[in-house]
Amino acid sequence: MTTSANLLRRRQVVTLAKHEIRRSLFSRRSLAVYLLVGMPLALMLLRALFMPGSMRADATHATTEFAEVFHFFLLRFVVFFANAMIFVRLFRGEILEKSLHYTLLAPLPRTVLVLGKYLGGVLSASVILVITTTLTYILVFLPHGSAGVQQLLSSSGIANLASYVLIVVLACFAYGALFMLAGLFFKNPMVPAILFLGWETLTPFLPTFLKVLSFVHYLVSFAPVPVSLGAFALLARPVPGWIALVALFVSSALLVYVASRVARRLEVTYSVD
Amino acid sequence: MSATKIVFHDVSKFYGEVLGVNKVNLEVAPGLTGLVGPNGSGKSTLMHLMTGLLRPSRGEVSVLGVSPDSPEELFRLVGYCTQYDSFPNGSTGLSFLRFALSLNGYSKNEADERAWASLSRVGLTDAANRRIAGYSKGMRQRIKLAHAHCHDPQVLVLDEPLNGLDPMGRAEMIDLFTAFAKEGRHVIVSSHILHEVDVISDGVIMIHGGAIVAEGEIREVRGEITSHPIQVLIRCDQPHVVASRIFELEHVVEARLIEDEGLLVRTRDASDFFTNFNRIVIDTGVIVETVAPADESVHAVYDYLIGDGLGGGSA
Repeated sequence: MTTSANLLRRRQVVTLAKHEIRRSLFSRRSLAVYLLVGMPLALMLLRALFMPGSMRADATHATTEFAEVFHFFLLRFVVFFANAMIFVRLFRGEILEKSLHYTLLAPLPRTVLVLGKYLGGVLSASVILVITTTLTYILVFLPHGSAGVQQLLSSSGIANLASYVLIVVLACFAYGALFMLAGLFFKNPMVPAILFLGWETLTPFLPTFLKVLSFVHYLVSFAPVPVSLGAFALLARPVPGWIALVALFVSSALLVYVASRVARRLEVTYSVD
Repeated sequence: MSATKIVFHDVSKFYGEVLGVNKVNLEVAPGLTGLVGPNGSGKSTLMHLMTGLLRPSRGEVSVLGVSPDSPEELFRLVGYCTQYDSFPNGSTGLSFLRFALSLNGYSKNEADERAWASLSRVGLTDAANRRIAGYSKGMRQRIKLAHAHCHDPQVLVLDEPLNGLDPMGRAEMIDLFTAFAKEGRHVIVSSHILHEVDVISDGVIMIHGGAIVAEGEIREVRGEITSHPIQVLIRCDQPHVVASRIFELEHVVEARLIEDEGLLVRTRDASDFFTNFNRIVIDTGVIVETVAPADESVHAVYDYLIGDGLGGGSA
């Protein structure tokens, strides 16, 4: 490909990504995502308001509390479903809106279309979920007054937050690729999404050779604070960071590649869809 | 693969077990081509196949030598105004065109310039910054047309483009299509309003039940329908004299005087009829006002080929 063709493709990817960011962040449909990400914030706010005085004085448990909230609520529910809502809509939303043909009628390879949409989705989801995670993190520490703030602003507090943010961004890449593909394949992608959530939830109880087939197995390897997964969990040696990173990026890239192959054969049959 | 024509080679499209189009072989030359057929006949399927929105189950399509499998090349050449009356949520007329032009690779300024030019061409400058959701049906049709031609394509594919337009708007749009065709481009228009297709088209493609029943210039197509005698309407000062002479011709099956209209003749051999008619005029000295074919219209031809199967709407 020539330099000008490269430049054109880059410009097309950026145009598509910007378009998707606008649609994901500012359209009426994003309200559902905002309601979802508002849930942990509302819960943490209520916790802060009604926390007994005796607990306020002690900030030592805040780190563990956030770790539990993050593992069992933020990552496995909020991040998962927010990604599902954003990425499933990239193609399926336009099919339901009967407006996908306008992008299909543009002079761009379908691979570029998939990449642009995916990138837009990753950026939108990351912005929303990183802000949610950061605010939730702050709301866990704030009720503990100056001790909480001190812990929050300590080097370990900030390093922990950075690790959680990294997990969230990686989750956007991985879940995003999966849900975008689901949106291309299934008329109602929420059904396979829920099935996959079941699989992700069961991961701690699966033997290692099955754990490797889930995203959460790799994502939690970046978690700064371990949490107890219950008596029936089958413990596995944590995956080294670089392996987790490679596994997540390779599987995301593979899913995006499959999505672009599917998109190449995509037809406009709105009445059937 | 012709670099100047739109070619369908043995193309079939099935939706599961339902037939869309069957074994279509077509070569569409530049100019304005009308695509006519009743509801469900396969007009939109044919247009979707031409633009890669559908893939053929069998056969090959090429547009000016480019396969619809290469959208990056195809849509530099093609603009398609579909039948879908839907738009991206929240778009204004201007943002809708800007987005399309940006995807075409135009810079922000170029995209702006072209978007405004297209809006002006379809008469939507004043509504440029209004949301499309608030547009009237006619305005939505215009913005779709602007979208189809804003990047100055070589081929314009228009599915029922005159739907929802008022008479003035129709006339303006027809002028636009005609101007495009005169520049040597391909303009393919599907319509169920046959007299419009008749007036504007250089040629027609008639489709029924997913099969092409006729294609070419209307006169040629009509000439090939030997089962129905050709009708000619003659207006002259002595129609009864002409009628009596014409009846002597073997291939004339009917000559009927119609009040205030003239003499309607039905003949099985048009060329011999016109040769003899000229002689009759010279011999008798009648003054001829007009001689015009009475059934060389899309509607008549379609009626002869298919029966009166044309309804409203598109496939």
